[in-house]
Amino acid sequence: MNAFLYGVALQWRLDIRSKSLLITCYIVPLIFFLLMGGIFTYVMPEMKNTLIPSMIVMGVSMGAFVGLPPSLIETYGSDIKKVYKTNGVPLYLGLVTMSISAFIHLMIMCVIILLLAPVLFEAVLPNSFPLFFLALTVYIIVSLSIGCVLGQAVKNQAKLNMISQLVFLPSILLSGIMFPIDLLPDFFKFLGRIFPASWGYKLMADGGFQLENLWYPLLVFSAAVTVCVVLLKKRESE
Amino acid sequence: MSNAIEVSGLTKSYGSHVVLKEISFQIAAGEIFALLGANGAGKTTALECIEGLKKYDSGTVTVNGTAGIQLQSSSLPAHIKPMEAVRLFAGWNKVKTDNALIHSLGLREIEKKQYAQLSTGQKRRLHLALALIGDPDIIFLDEPTAGLDVEGRLSLHDNIRKLKSSGKTVVLASHDMAEVETLCDRIAILSGGKIVFCGTPSELTCKIGKKYFIHIKTELGSDTLEADNIENTLLSLLGEMKRNGIKVLDIKVDRGTLEQHFMEMTGRAEK
Repeated sequence: MNAFLYGVALQWRLDIRSKSLLITCYIVPLIFFLLMGGIFTYVMPEMKNTLIPSMIVMGVSMGAFVGLPPSLIETYGSDIKKVYKTNGVPLYLGLVTMSISAFIHLMIMCVIILLLAPVLFEAVLPNSFPLFFLALTVYIIVSLSIGCVLGQAVKNQAKLNMISQLVFLPSILLSGIMFPIDLLPDFFKFLGRIFPASWGYKLMADGGFQLENLWYPLLVFSAAVTVCVVLLKKRESE
Repeated sequence: MSNAIEVSGLTKSYGSHVVLKEISFQIAAGEIFALLGANGAGKTTALECIEGLKKYDSGTVTVNGTAGIQLQSSSLPAHIKPMEAVRLFAGWNKVKTDNALIHSLGLREIEKKQYAQLSTGQKRRLHLALALIGDPDIIFLDEPTAGLDVEGRLSLHDNIRKLKSSGKTVVLASHDMAEVETLCDRIAILSGGKIVFCGTPSELTCKIGKKYFIHIKTELGSDTLEADNIENTLLSLLGEMKRNGIKVLDIKVDRGTLEQHFMEMTGRAEK
C-alpha cells in the first residue's frame, strides 16, 4: 500500500514537472475560462447560470482527452512497461496511478474555477455542492477512462495528437457548453449525444444528477474499462 | 558448484524466423557469464526468455535464485529523479533503500537531475542500482556498457567485479570482445541461433590458435601484418626494413583478440 501511495504521489509530482500536463490541466483551461468567462457573460448575461459547469466540462475534457494520453504512451509505448514487468509490477498499476494523479489535478483545476467564477464573473454557484461534486467526480472518471483508452490504443504521439482532437473538439462544440444545443441541426444534436461531455454538462446542472443523465456516462465508462483491460492483457502477452 | 541457471533446448521464433535453435548451457552460481554475439544474433531474446519476459516455444529454463534485471533499452519517465526511482523500486520490491549501494554507484551526485538530463553513463548506473535494489542472487545485464565512454566502462566493470566478489552471479549480453575477455569467467557465443562455443576465454583462444598482429609505421606509411610465429616474423620484417634502408617510426604487437576469434567462429557457423 505504501508503494502504491508513493507511486501516486510521485506521479502527481511528475505531472507537475511535465509541461504538457501542466498546460492541458491548468494553463489552457484556466486561460480559456478567464477569456470566455469575460466574453460569454458580457455578450449573453444568462450564461452566468451555466458558466461553471460549461468551463469545467471544457477543462476536464481537455485534461482527460489531451493531457493524460501522452503520459500513458510514454509508459506503455516505451520500454518503461518492461521495467514494470522486470519488477513484478502489474501493468495496470501505471494506468491507475496516472489516472488518480490526473483526477486530483483536474479536481484542483475545477475547484479554482468554482472559486473564481462567482468573484470574477458573478457566475451562479450550484444549489447543491454535494450533488455537484458527485456529478463532477463521475464526469472526471468517465473522461479519464476515455483518455486511458486513447493512451492505450494509439501507438505514437503524432497519431495521438490527431485522434485526441477528434474526441476533444466535438465534445466541446456539440455538448452545449459553447452555445445552446437546441440551435444545432438534428444530426449534430445526435452526434453531440455520443460524446460524454454533453451528458456531463447535464449532470452538473442543477437537478441534473439523475439516472436519465447517468446511464450513458456509466455505459461509456464500462466500455472504456473493458477495452483498457483487453489492451493491457494484450500488452502483457506481448 | 551448483548452477544458478540451466537452459536446455531453448527454442524461440518470431513467426517463421527461428531466433534460438535448441540452445543449452548452464551458468554456475557466482560466475560472470557472457552471451556473446553479433547484433541480431539473439542475445537479448535469449536473456529475455531466461528472465521470464518473453515466452519461448520449447525447452526448459531453470533459474535458481532471485533475479535483478538491467534491460538493454531500459527507460524511465523523463521527469523522474534518480532517488525517486530508487524509492519507487524499493517500494515495489518491499525493501528499504540501500544507502551503501546508492553511494557506491554515485547516485547522490546526480540526485537533483531528472532522468532525461542524465548522461548515458549516469542512466546505466541508475538502472544498475535499480536492478540491485532487491539484493538479487542473479543479475542480468544486457549490453551494460553500450554507449559508455572509457571511464564509465571501467567504472561499470569495477562494479560488476564487486558483484562477483560478493557472491552474485552475473549474466551479461555483449558484443564487446574486450569487455568479455577481461571480465567474464565463461562465455557462450551465439550465432545463427545456435551456441557455437561455450567455455572460458582462454579455452576459446586455445581452440582457435594464437594469432599476433604487428602494427608497423614507417616513413612510407602504416601497415598491419598477421603472424602465428611472432619471433620469426618480427625478426625477418625488421631485417628487411634495415636492408632496404626504411626507417621504422613505430611498431606495436598485440595478440589476436577474442573479436578476431569470434569473427572466425561465427563466420564458420554462418557458412
